[in-house]
Amino acid sequence: MSAPEQAGEGTLALVELIARRGSSAEFVALAHAHGIELPAFGRVAANADQLALCVRPDRWLLLAPPSTAGAGAVHAGWQQDAAGLGVAIDLSSGFTALLLAGPRVREVLARSCRVDLDQQFFPAGHAAATIMAQVPVILAVLPAGMLLLTPASTARHFREWLAAAAKPFGLVPQSAISLAGLCGSENQ
Amino acid sequence: MRGPARIAGAPGSVATRPVEFHFDGRRMQGRVGDTLASALLANGVRLVARSFKYHRPRGIVTAGPDEPCALVDVIGAHGREPNQLATTLTLYEGLEAESQNRWPSLEVDALAVNNLFARFLPAGFYYKTFMAPGWAWERLYEPLIRRAAGLGRLDSVVPTHAVPAETVHDHADVLVVGAGTAGLVAARVLGSNGLRVLLVEQDQICGGGALLDTRWAAWRQSTCAQLAALAGVRCLPATTVVGAYGHGVYAAVETLGASESALCGGLRERLRIIRTRRVVFANGAAERLIAFPGNDRPGVMLAGAALTYLRRNGVAVGQRPAFFLNNDEAYESVFALVAAGIRCAGVIDVRPNSKAADCSRAMGVSVHTNAVVVAVHGHHEVRGLTFADREGGRRQKLGADCLLMSGGYTPATALASQLGAGLHWQESIAGFVPELSPDAGQVAGAARGVFGLAAAARDGDAAANAIALQLGCAPRAADDEPELPPDAESTPIAALWEVRGRGKAFVDLQNDVTAADVRLAVSEGYEHVEHMKRYTTHGMGNDQGRSGGLVGSAVLAAARNLPLAAVGQSKPRPYSQPVPLAALAGSETGEHFKPKRRVPLHDWHESAGAAFAPVGLWLRPLVYSRQGGWKPVLAEARKVRRAVGITDVSTLGKIDVQGPDAARFLDFIYANTFSTLPVGRARYGIMLREDGMLFDDGTTSRLGPEHFLVTTTTANSAAVLEHLEFHLQAVCPQLDVLLTDVSEHWAQFTVAGPRAREVVAAVITDLEVSNVAFPFMAAAAARIAGIPGRVFRISFSGEQAYELAVPARDALAAWRALLEAGKPFGIAPYGLDALNTLRIEKGHVTGAELNGNTSADDLGFQRLLKKAGDFIGRALSGRPGLTVPERLQLVGLRPVDPAQRLRNGAQLVATGDRTRSLGYVTSSTPAVAFDGWVALALLAGGRQRLGEQLLASSPVHDECPQVEIVSPHLFDPENRRVRS
Repeated sequence: MSAPEQAGEGTLALVELIARRGSSAEFVALAHAHGIELPAFGRVAANADQLALCVRPDRWLLLAPPSTAGAGAVHAGWQQDAAGLGVAIDLSSGFTALLLAGPRVREVLARSCRVDLDQQFFPAGHAAATIMAQVPVILAVLPAGMLLLTPASTARHFREWLAAAAKPFGLVPQSAISLAGLCGSENQ
Repeated sequence: MRGPARIAGAPGSVATRPVEFHFDGRRMQGRVGDTLASALLANGVRLVARSFKYHRPRGIVTAGPDEPCALVDVIGAHGREPNQLATTLTLYEGLEAESQNRWPSLEVDALAVNNLFARFLPAGFYYKTFMAPGWAWERLYEPLIRRAAGLGRLDSVVPTHAVPAETVHDHADVLVVGAGTAGLVAARVLGSNGLRVLLVEQDQICGGGALLDTRWAAWRQSTCAQLAALAGVRCLPATTVVGAYGHGVYAAVETLGASESALCGGLRERLRIIRTRRVVFANGAAERLIAFPGNDRPGVMLAGAALTYLRRNGVAVGQRPAFFLNNDEAYESVFALVAAGIRCAGVIDVRPNSKAADCSRAMGVSVHTNAVVVAVHGHHEVRGLTFADREGGRRQKLGADCLLMSGGYTPATALASQLGAGLHWQESIAGFVPELSPDAGQVAGAARGVFGLAAAARDGDAAANAIALQLGCAPRAADDEPELPPDAESTPIAALWEVRGRGKAFVDLQNDVTAADVRLAVSEGYEHVEHMKRYTTHGMGNDQGRSGGLVGSAVLAAARNLPLAAVGQSKPRPYSQPVPLAALAGSETGEHFKPKRRVPLHDWHESAGAAFAPVGLWLRPLVYSRQGGWKPVLAEARKVRRAVGITDVSTLGKIDVQGPDAARFLDFIYANTFSTLPVGRARYGIMLREDGMLFDDGTTSRLGPEHFLVTTTTANSAAVLEHLEFHLQAVCPQLDVLLTDVSEHWAQFTVAGPRAREVVAAVITDLEVSNVAFPFMAAAAARIAGIPGRVFRISFSGEQAYELAVPARDALAAWRALLEAGKPFGIAPYGLDALNTLRIEKGHVTGAELNGNTSADDLGFQRLLKKAGDFIGRALSGRPGLTVPERLQLVGLRPVDPAQRLRNGAQLVATGDRTRSLGYVTSSTPAVAFDGWVALALLAGGRQRLGEQLLASSPVHDECPQVEIVSPHLFDPENRRVRS
């Protein structure tokens, strides 16, 4: 079993926060009150104890260490506050998080990614959902490099493909296992 | 073989390192910077190929990708690679090339005998001859014709993945195709405006025509330097745009040079998919041939090619060249060869006079005006020619060792045409020019008939400015440019397409199509240019008829007595040049040809000896044995019927449905009712498509008043989610419902068998799982071996069963705990095959029966359709045709002789009439609850036929067992076991 590839493997929880129709603003405010900053569509926001990204309208994916408020969003207390405004669904096991870092990351990803990854159009703080190597991938530009979230069932396929594509560039995809690892500055 | 043809002092003759290569086994020497073609010419080689159909001797005709004749086999690390263009193949040390389509040798080719029988082999001969006897076409004629025709041959065994390739996605504001003077200027102007520009050039070096004119060398260098300094401009040499697809999407193939290839693990081609806002087509014009008798002899080539070989490689294509021209531009070759010290045999000019002809005479070259070439002498190489007055008067012979022709220039319109550009006839150049919508981009320079390097540069400037303005750039003052070298004044072209006479005059050198073939097509009724193309194969070679396409159209126009403008050119489609399949496949080959979806416990299943079956993209454990056959399958199934088994059903689709309107939404999605389902209960449901046919089935559980969990079949999970999303967004936007795909998050296992409860009770401590507290179709949250999860009392096998769901990351712990708890009962995992055996005995349907052609009534679900309220498919499920009794209905089958097996796909026929199918077997298996095989089948009027006997005919297996029609619910029809 490819245990370290699972996003939640004792390290990061992944929760989807979904606002009910027409409740987006209140939902964002509620999240804020719980210490969770929800970014605008197509963006990723990182702070000390969680990272949130938005690639579908009124939906946010939250990566957080399991002990934090973000991960706790799935628990009853938060759900109660959010009743009528939205829901939180635990997807920690549903995705695999990879980090690819290095000066030529965008060149590697252009081997399959149709999104325009030019620094000018997809700078730090941007996020997008797309298809790469025939499987769904969510991309987010973080200080440490490019975060890639991909469904757990095809993670091995994607990781193998990415490793092969990155090899000529001297890059190796890493499992994203801690927020510090994602949000620290690029270590090249 | 001729003497050395390298010209000392010519611009391209800078002494470079020698390179050794072999052609047809002969060792030769070229130089760094040569193509195979220029090296062969430098070695005096004229005869390089045999033609496609007539096996006529052929030489090099062009100096680039338009080459119709000089195709060779290259023998390299990847085996034999056929049909490589000698004119674009960069020479490298040790290159081994061989000529094609000849036996026993290039000089003496046995099948050149075809040429003698040419009058019996016109276009389409194989449609008219070889008609009888009927059997002989496939067994004799076709194999013979195929052997005789064609160019290169593939190795019979191609090493797998020998040639790596990759796909890259590029983005730009503007794609500039072609880096001649027009393209270079356009890229510079667009780049200076701050736009992102991708400049793509098929040649190794940028410059186009500027590379052939020494006056432009400084300008070319400074412009390339300016482009290199512009941050927004990226230049891709050795890259050819092969397709234009609309919406700003283009495909290009980049050929990697030896050094970059070595850096990229032997990568040779890179497919680039380019997305842009606008395009500038500055891809020039192709020089065209003239159709005259003998225009295919080795040594007859395009005048522009001779200029290229001289300027780029310092190679003179002959020591005594003659010219046959109808335009002033082609005289550049005359001037250049004379300046290089070559003595010209003479120029045959179609026109009565011209400025360039006067210049030539002043240089001491004899020019015969108002004349045409009527014959070429020599067989394996040109030895001379005969020319005559245009009026057919005096004939004169001329000794020459090559004949350089130019029938004018045809703008490269293929890519613009692919974007829907109309073609407009322009008499002044005797060619069609494209009219591209400004929303797509601009055409500049020779590609739209603006000839002359300076004129093209100015045209590129105008095109770029138009686009910059369109893309919202502020108008800028013109660059302070050094003056461009002026274009020479020229006398207009006089169109000449064909010189009729004795002998073959080719309009397509690659496919051996003559002017006479075109006329034959007309006389046979293939008058339209597209019909003529298909009848004669004109323009179908890998050169796509770039040098002779318009000539063929002109011959067609003359035969139909129409103006050429009315006949037009055949419509080009992508790819405009050959693209290796490896480049199209990119990196998605072998293991990555398609993704594999693996369940969370994939590695456990593998180590337990599972054989896997592909189900959609999923790999599902089929049986925990590698030995094959039914024995291990039946052992697994029997374990479930007699004690307890466990199986991995993580691949089922799972959709979380929440919101105040969740129940209403599900009532609309499902054909049966869910709003009445109490919290903590599950219900089997069926979905219909809009057309009333069955779409999918599964169980849905109510986890809270506003919270449901929908499960789908493995194969349909993506389709069902899409179906739900579509109806929520487009059909029921007023409903407050949230859908989330949680399939990947949850691992799910079924523990089934008479001892299932004892196993489950051992791992669940916070929930009473007795039949009273947790009856059939109950659902609840529970801790499974301490892991927060969910339990469902649902059964596919027909046994007492519990489905347990835990987050995928905890799957292994839960699975192991269940195996441990089941040990006393001999628990064992069972795979898809055993699951199939159990469900067929039980009469449960899967994709084989839910096959898109069956209705609810067909499968016996009519009582599930709710009477009140709307649902998807309601209206059309009531069509009378969907409930007529003679429709195929689900039944069970058992062989009358239990020793006989049943086959999926076997046709059900009556004993008295074996020719009429009454239905077919959808699923079959040897049974564990009974002796012998059981099957499910779809049978016309099946429910009325219970008790009847039919034959299940499987002619491919030569089997026809007698079967009895029984209820599909063979095992435990009262459902006692699932409720126990």
